[in-house]
Amino acid sequence: MDVLKRNNVTVSGAGSQAMVFVHGFGCNQQMWQLIAPDFAADYRVVLLDLVGAGRSDLAAYDPTHYSSLDAHAEDVLAVLRALHLHDVVLVGHSVGAVIAMLAAIEEPDRVAQLVLVSPSPRYLNDVNYTGGFEPADINELLEDMGNNYLGWSGAFAPIVMSHSDRPELAAELNSSFCSTDPAIAQHFARVTFLGDNRADLPLVHTPSLIIQCAHDVIAPAAVGTYMHRHLPDSTLVVLDTSGHCPHLSMPQATRAAIQNFLRSTPTLQP
Amino acid sequence: MSDAADDEQLPELDLRLTAENLDEFYEHAPCGYCSCLPDGTLIKVNQTLLGWLGYSRPELVAHMALQDLFTIGGRLHYETHCVPLLLLQGQVREISYLLRRKDKTTLPVLMSCTLLRDADNQPLVVRATLFDITERHKYEAELLRAKLKAEEQREQLALANKQLQRKNEQLTRINADLDSFVYTASHDLRQPIDNMAGLFTELKRSATFHDPAAGRMVVMFEEALQQILDTIGGLTAVVQQQRELEQVPNEAVALQPITEEIIQSLQPGTASATFTLDFGAVPTLQMARPSLHSMLFNLLSNSLKYADHGRPAHIQVSTALVDNVPVLSVEDNGRGINLERHGPELFQLFRRFHPDVAGSGMGLYLVNRLVHQAGGRVEVESRVGRGTTFRIYLPKAH
Repeated sequence: MDVLKRNNVTVSGAGSQAMVFVHGFGCNQQMWQLIAPDFAADYRVVLLDLVGAGRSDLAAYDPTHYSSLDAHAEDVLAVLRALHLHDVVLVGHSVGAVIAMLAAIEEPDRVAQLVLVSPSPRYLNDVNYTGGFEPADINELLEDMGNNYLGWSGAFAPIVMSHSDRPELAAELNSSFCSTDPAIAQHFARVTFLGDNRADLPLVHTPSLIIQCAHDVIAPAAVGTYMHRHLPDSTLVVLDTSGHCPHLSMPQATRAAIQNFLRSTPTLQP
Repeated sequence: MSDAADDEQLPELDLRLTAENLDEFYEHAPCGYCSCLPDGTLIKVNQTLLGWLGYSRPELVAHMALQDLFTIGGRLHYETHCVPLLLLQGQVREISYLLRRKDKTTLPVLMSCTLLRDADNQPLVVRATLFDITERHKYEAELLRAKLKAEEQREQLALANKQLQRKNEQLTRINADLDSFVYTASHDLRQPIDNMAGLFTELKRSATFHDPAAGRMVVMFEEALQQILDTIGGLTAVVQQQRELEQVPNEAVALQPITEEIIQSLQPGTASATFTLDFGAVPTLQMARPSLHSMLFNLLSNSLKYADHGRPAHIQVSTALVDNVPVLSVEDNGRGINLERHGPELFQLFRRFHPDVAGSGMGLYLVNRLVHQAGGRVEVESRVGRGTTFRIYLPKAH
């Protein structure tokens, strides 16, 4: 299997070290476009779509296989192997951050530094843990997605696609920004928002940067603090912004935080 | 409208054309309008939207964010999908959300947003337009329900299909087992019967019977023995033929020579019956040769066996093409069968309708089975005292 094709991998830039970006729930590699190009001068920049998102091979999305984030982490490692990459800077956003973390635990020699943007090890509240959501909230999201009303244009894409007499319409819908197959999106939402990776945090020995928005509903401040406390070699940077995507809402500050972290961490050169 | 050029072009001063008030229009437009800071904090909300939501302006402006108006599911979607799109493309269109009213009820809306940036290209304000899609939402829900139902039915159908297939496989297996059983049974019966025949011959030769009726009983016994032997032979033939047929390929068999050959074997000496053969319409049939042979042999021998002794037997064998389907007919002027009475049993194993004529009750069973195997069907037409016609419809010629 061609993993580079499966995960729609794009490589640009030059440098002895690679910087690999893993997107989160709701979008695809396009969400890195405000910061990734700035690293291309010093790093080999590798972008990918998780299987089920963007222009990845949707046919490869077997719900049983992808019922845990480990399968996505394995995919990321497969991309690193295919490109013969070691000691990369692995950047992940949201659930992509957890996937990056799992990959670093699995094959530590492939990952020199972790950059975790708005990460959360668990979205549901628990005893002595504030994830930000109650099971009913997540069920509401899943139900909403089940009703297909979220991003309904995507929901109708498969119907349009079955009309082979209008292929141009299908192509247009397919290429629309951050569009997702609704069935896959719903399954991925389940895996993402019902998962619990708190036990994995102490297993990470890679130097990690946590970038946290001051006002984020999805990964609240308490979650950033929790991450920082349980990740052995971590640095926490809180950006004074709201929302869940600082790399989009505050690209300069996000970029600066990453650059500072990379400068301060000893880089392993091959 | 405020454009000076437009004003000049107005053909006549119709007061109604200038009566539109922009502020009034904004407040009471047939859609909801709101503006918010990049983080979603509401800064301007029109009266229509306030009316939908049941909030007063001071409750919303500067106190609540656009995403606070959504259900949690919608909010998650807004943060993970909508915000990235807004920041990357400057706009989002036709996104479906549920608004949460002050009284906690929901209102389905379709939202389009644009992001305005300042001179330094920093996000400044988000403008949102919301359309009430209550009716359309119901319709969509109906569509989804129908889709779910269709999927459910498809699954049920697939399940039923699977069950049928299993049943079919089971029946095929049982059929094969039955054939095996018949074959084994006939084979196992043959040995003792052969012994009995031998012993009886020996008995006849060595024993003397004093009873004058004994002679007749010996004949009857021999007849009964013969009947058992015929039956066993027939049973073996049915199964054996079945097994052999599975090995034999279909071929184009010319009807004229094979029929002549069968007639020859049926009445070797002087012919007492006359035959008319006409295969002009379909000279060859695509079939396994032994099948066709056995079929014709059984039909022709039946015609001869059940000839009416009051008139010379005449048998017509012919083919025709009916709707592109080859039909082979065997028509005799024999005794005929009372179809009303015997029709349903005609093709059953061991059914016999003329006890005075020797037979094992296998012939028509075999014919029917062979035709079915070849993918065809048998039709029979008969009048007692006039004769019988068998028509064999074979699969369409290619």
